[in-house]
This record gives sequence, structure tokens and C-alpha cells, in this order.
Amino acid sequence: MIPTTEAPVTRVVGEGALAAAVAEALTGVRAVAASACIVPPIPPGTPLAELSDERLAADVGDTLDSVLVQVQQECDRLRDGGRLVFVLPHAPLLGASGSVAAAAVAGGLLSMARTLAIELARDAVTVNTVAVDGSSPGGSALSAQLGAFLGPGGETITGQEIYLTAGSDLGRLRP
Amino acid sequence: MTGPLEGRIALVTGGAGGIGRAICARLSADGATVLLADLDPAAVETAAGDIPGVVHPLVLEVTDPGSRHAAVAVCRRLGGADVLVNCAGVLRDARIAKLEPALFRRLTEINLLGPLALTRLVAQDMTSRGRGAVVNLASRAWLGTFGSTAYSTAKGGLVGATRSLALELGPAGITVNAVAPGFIETPMTAGLPSEVRRRTLAAIPVGRAGRPDDVAGAVAFLADAPYVTGQVLLVCGGRSIGDPYAA
Repeated sequence: MIPTTEAPVTRVVGEGALAAAVAEALTGVRAVAASACIVPPIPPGTPLAELSDERLAADVGDTLDSVLVQVQQECDRLRDGGRLVFVLPHAPLLGASGSVAAAAVAGGLLSMARTLAIELARDAVTVNTVAVDGSSPGGSALSAQLGAFLGPGGETITGQEIYLTAGSDLGRLRP
Repeated sequence: MTGPLEGRIALVTGGAGGIGRAICARLSADGATVLLADLDPAAVETAAGDIPGVVHPLVLEVTDPGSRHAAVAVCRRLGGADVLVNCAGVLRDARIAKLEPALFRRLTEINLLGPLALTRLVAQDMTSRGRGAVVNLASRAWLGTFGSTAYSTAKGGLVGATRSLALELGPAGITVNAVAPGFIETPMTAGLPSEVRRRTLAAIPVGRAGRPDDVAGAVAFLADAPYVTGQVLLVCGGRSIGDPYAA
């Protein structure tokens, strides 16, 4: 018998609009630990006046609920060490008029990632966030950044946030 | 009372709590007519009665749509809220592995969805008058805190919403800001284990826990700062720039 070594699995978790771009970017990435990219759906832009209680509950509450369940499942899989990367669109993170629901979800998940980075460090799980331009996810740049988080050396990078926006956000205060 | 907020109506949720009561007292001292809103009728009456000035007790459950509409109706009878302080919140949490989805949802509803829904109602009146100030009580936990996934997610969501609301409501003359308290001496934090308290205090550069008045001062500033919007003001004694694990 020749022993075989299975390559660590990287899963794309979530139904966000960026999921396809993340999956494509991962084709060029060699992960050295079990890992997952969390790509949540972000609610569509809606003016505050039209954001009913029902929309808030569904767009914000249900979305955050679903991400929690997915993250808990992945944390269980990564309990012996691994890498988590949240991939979020940059516009609602930085703030945009008419996007309060999207901003609440994106901002909430940014803080979730920060807390998980602190909490899971003792389990050798890194947690980072990549913010990308939703209209132009930047395949090679995203691939390179995911490679930095998931590949060799990534075990020392946690709790970080990087904006892959080609500088379009320069001069704006980040959350 | 006279002061910079004279003639203005301020609606403060969570007004009977440790920080909320201090905010009501400060806004009243600054001249505002205050609607002190909270869940427990007896606590609301007591707190409102203890604060000098014009302070109206108001029972409000921020997660209940009917209660929110009723509160805004009371505001309208007084002329409509000029200042909304979303202070109602709860802190209960667990590590990610043990966090019950129901608890996560409950904290989301109280700390995030309720404030946003109330803001939508109050912003309608503010927009029609072309002025207003919304101050959201976030938390230093927005930056991440061990064992605090639900709370930090909700408060992070509130910070994110604050930024977008500021952009959306700015043209209508409404400012939207957040105050992010750190470790504040309140009944909610009084029960912390002594070792946790010691380590927390050791990580605060100014060498003491915050007081509700420290937070109230920041809220009062943002209630009357028409050229400041979309900001998060950390009131944490410098803990956000120091080593959180100093001890």
C-alpha cells in the first residue's frame, strides 16, 4: 500500500453573489489546512422608508441567522486547526445611501469575524475578512489574497481585513 | 431647564438602565424634554421621577412593532422627536460552539432590528422637519470580544447601519452617529467575576472603569453636533488603542 495524503479541503459556504468569483479564485490556491470561505448573501439596496419590519427581519435577521449556522458547522469541521475567510462586498461595509440592511449584515459579519479571530486563536483557527468590489471581484487579486490566508504562512495571519478595491476606497474611513 | 437642547424632544430607549438613565439626566440638564422609554413600567416611572426637568415616562418594548408605533405617537403629540437615542440593549452571550441560534436571534432583534425599525419611524418625522439627530449605542465589542459572537455581531451591524443611515439621511438634515462604550460601571457589569474585572481594568489606559456619565457626555455632544455624522465615538478609556490582554 502506498500511503496517500489528501489535500486539505476548502469549501465555499453561502449563497452570496460573490460565491462564483470566490470558487473561481480558489482554483489557483493551494490551501495547507482545512478551510472555508464564507460568502453570505447581502440584501439588496432598499431606502430606509421602504424597509418594513418584515424586510428587516428577513433581510437582516434571517441572513445573520443562516450565517451563524454555517459558521458553526465550519468551526466544528475546523476544530483541530484551519482557516476561515469571510468574503464581503466593500460598498455596504463602507456605507452607502439606501443600503441600511446590507450595511447591517456586512457590518455585523465584520464584527463576527473579529470576535471569531480572537476566540478561535486558541484552536489554531485563523479568521480573516476580504472586502471586494462586488461589481468587479478581481479574480487574480482575490486568488492571491486567498492564497495568502489559506496557504503557507497563513497560520500567523488572523483578525485582518483587506479591501481589494484597486484603491477606490482610499480616503474613506473604514469601519 | 435651559441649555443647548432647549426646546427639543429627545426619545431615549433603555432609559431606565444604568447608561440610559444617565443619558436622560444629561439631555434633560441640557434643556431637552425627555421621553424616558424602557420595558418595565415601574422602573420607567421611578427613573423619570428621579431626574430633574421635563422627563416623561414611556413604556416601550423595542422589539414590538405596536409598542414602537405607540411610542412614536406619544412623541408626535409633543411635537415629534428631535433626538433619538437607541440605548436599549442586552448582553448575554456564549462562545461560538455553544451559542444557541435562538439567543443569537434574540440579541439581533433587541440590539439591531428594534433600533433600526424605530429609527425608520422617527426618521419620517425628522425628515419632514428637516432636522434631527440619531445616536446609536454600539459597543467596543464591535471591534471583537472573546465569547461575544452574538453581541458583537449585533453591535457591528448597528455600526454598519449607522454609516449608511448617515449617508442616506444627511441630505434631510439628520445626523446619525454611534457611541461605543467600553467597560462601564452599571448593574449589568456589576456581577462580573473579580478576576475578569481585574484583567479588564488593567487593560484600560486611563486606569478606571467608565461611568454612565462618561457615555452620556458623548451622547449629548452628538445630539447637538450638526456637522458630525456617520462617526463612531469610542468611550472606553483608551482600551481600543491599548493591549486588551495587558494583564
